[in-house]
Amino acid sequence: MTDTQLNEIPALGKLYVGALGSAAKARLSAAQAPQTLPAARHRVTGARVELERLADFQRLVQHSASDYLPSGFVHTFAFPVAMSLMSRDDFPLPLLGMVHLRNSVEHFRPIHYAEPLDVTAWAENLAGHRAGTQVELIAEVSAGGAVVWRGRSTYLAKGVFLPRFDRSDARGPRPDFVPPPPTALWRLGADAGRNYAVVSGDFNPIHLSRLSAKALGMKRSLAHGMYLASRVVADIVQNRQEPYEWSIDFDSPVFLPAAVSLSISDTEGDDGYSGSTFVGWNQRSRRRHFAGAVKALPA
Amino acid sequence: MAAQSQAEPAASGGPTPAPAVRKAVVIGGNRIPFARSGGKYTYSSNQDMLTAALDGLVARFGLQGERIGEVAGGAVLKHSRDFNLTREAVLGSALSPETPAYDVQQACATGLETVVSLANKIKLGQLESAVAGGVDSASDAPIAVSEGLRRALLDLSRAKTAKQKLAAVAKIRPKDLSPNAPSTGEPRTGLSMGEHQALTTAQWKITREAQDELALASHRNMAAAYDRGFFDDLVTPYRGLSRDANLRPDTTMEKLGKLKPAFGRSLGDEATMTAGNSTPLTDGASVVLLGSEDYAREHDLPMLANIVDAEAGAVDFVHGKDGLLMAPAFAVPRLLARNGLTLDDFDFFEIHEAFAGTVLSTLAAWEDDEFCRTRLGLEGPLGTVDRSKLNVNGSSLAAGHPFAATGGRIVASLAKMLHEKGSGRGLISICAAGGQGLVAVLEAR
Repeated sequence: MTDTQLNEIPALGKLYVGALGSAAKARLSAAQAPQTLPAARHRVTGARVELERLADFQRLVQHSASDYLPSGFVHTFAFPVAMSLMSRDDFPLPLLGMVHLRNSVEHFRPIHYAEPLDVTAWAENLAGHRAGTQVELIAEVSAGGAVVWRGRSTYLAKGVFLPRFDRSDARGPRPDFVPPPPTALWRLGADAGRNYAVVSGDFNPIHLSRLSAKALGMKRSLAHGMYLASRVVADIVQNRQEPYEWSIDFDSPVFLPAAVSLSISDTEGDDGYSGSTFVGWNQRSRRRHFAGAVKALPA
Repeated sequence: MAAQSQAEPAASGGPTPAPAVRKAVVIGGNRIPFARSGGKYTYSSNQDMLTAALDGLVARFGLQGERIGEVAGGAVLKHSRDFNLTREAVLGSALSPETPAYDVQQACATGLETVVSLANKIKLGQLESAVAGGVDSASDAPIAVSEGLRRALLDLSRAKTAKQKLAAVAKIRPKDLSPNAPSTGEPRTGLSMGEHQALTTAQWKITREAQDELALASHRNMAAAYDRGFFDDLVTPYRGLSRDANLRPDTTMEKLGKLKPAFGRSLGDEATMTAGNSTPLTDGASVVLLGSEDYAREHDLPMLANIVDAEAGAVDFVHGKDGLLMAPAFAVPRLLARNGLTLDDFDFFEIHEAFAGTVLSTLAAWEDDEFCRTRLGLEGPLGTVDRSKLNVNGSSLAAGHPFAATGGRIVASLAKMLHEKGSGRGLISICAAGGQGLVAVLEAR
């Protein structure tokens, strides 16, 4: 494992431009793609949160404007370091067109916006998937020498099949989803993707406009998975002091504009709050968009 | 995320009634007829209507130039310019300009909260007389600029240099120019009040028929009350209205049954809530004159009822632990326990009809053994409300529901009913946005 020190959190826009370039280059040269993950970690130390960006993020996901970072914000803060890893020439999967399958996060303590943060990212668990190849990106955020937040994001490179993985069988029948009574309704405008792009820096064209999404084969622009995750986790967790973990699985994209019905269910154990489960679905088609859970971690 | 249940009846260590305070009495009330939004009061502001209601009260009780101890009022849909709405209405009324006033806002419980807080001041000897009230206009509702435009304008007002001003203006996007109108949506869930209630109504398996029956009874009871002159000394005509514009004396189960579901349509066949068994957006104002017994006697004014006690409640509705409008189901048992009363000790029940489903869900909860045991901490069902004692002169389904004006309407009407009967008690239950509720006991004199 080699460690690469970056001077600062990279700008996602540049990474996307680079990715466009390398995608074109790969197509031209038909170069043999690498078959394994780079044994490398990318690291940024002493990174600082911009207060204005934090405030915009909090407003967008309806988190109170506290001095502590929403869990989803930490992801957007750390994610570009993981992405710089994915945009390396020796990364086996193309960055563009990756589909977000799942996130799981451990949030160990409240993180004050003024704390200098160290971010380390690496990739693991390259694996076959019925629709392509999946990979996990881990981002770890430390403050004062201790890990305060760890996120694991699972991505799918659709249609990319590496020879070393057997093509797994087609999916079994999807169990019928019967929506529970909703506890909330999110009305997401056509600009929901653009708005989240501004606060997260994730200007992936599939989120920006109908046109840019169509250019990448989508019928309409779609909401960022991390916007949905950040908003539902903000609703559940608010300004929780105690450690917790959360995870979300994305089932179907939220094409914009959208009316997303949501059901959040809290559970209480002997010591009070123990966790929540949530599920989001399209209000009209009743197709499930995402589901997940928040769990209290032992303090 | 609240872990505790609400199963803490007053009997086990809750507050107890204060022993030796004076009585606070309801002397009378006045309101303007309630109008449907976009109707006769379209161009009347909250201040106009509250002033009209106050002036009617002044005329009825000879309060011209009188310095009242304090006036409390409020509105739910409120312009920012109305920071002193009630004081401005007092200044515009025939009351003495030396009458102090303050504003209250507790969603649909606003009106009842003004009564409760002023009655408490009277009980403590801080006031001899008081006017409680509320007003709302859904027609003359405040329109706010979008968040983006608002922030840009505020930045612009703070900008000193031309460059800063330009930067502030440059932040304005075309989409920022469309205004925001107020909605009945809950900020934390995005669901309208009707959608929330539709879930509760379905959860308690309240039928369409039961809801329509309640709506029908409300219209019939209120029409009959108007016909026998019950409202003659409670309502002052305004802007060409002398009865509540929403009142449909000739409605029938058949007519109500033809209406299509308006809320909970995602429930499919289980959707039962229509425009007929839900309150419409309404404009109106109401006020109540309160006083000490000494004040009433000295001014030769009637004493209709005592304000005995009140209890506020709130439920954790955000993730659906309880229905948005179910707080009174928890507050009433606490209030009863504190006063050593049961549902059988009441002659009148005034349960605000935000939706027929709200009233019926609350009644169903009180009859439900499991709910009462596990959620209310009781040994069995709280009891059954005698339907012949429920909203006997109609309620919000007939009158309409100008949010902050509903409390004053109910208190004045109930006080008069109790006084007419000459004995007994009445229970008031009002649900409010934000999962809140306020309930109170009045007794006849």
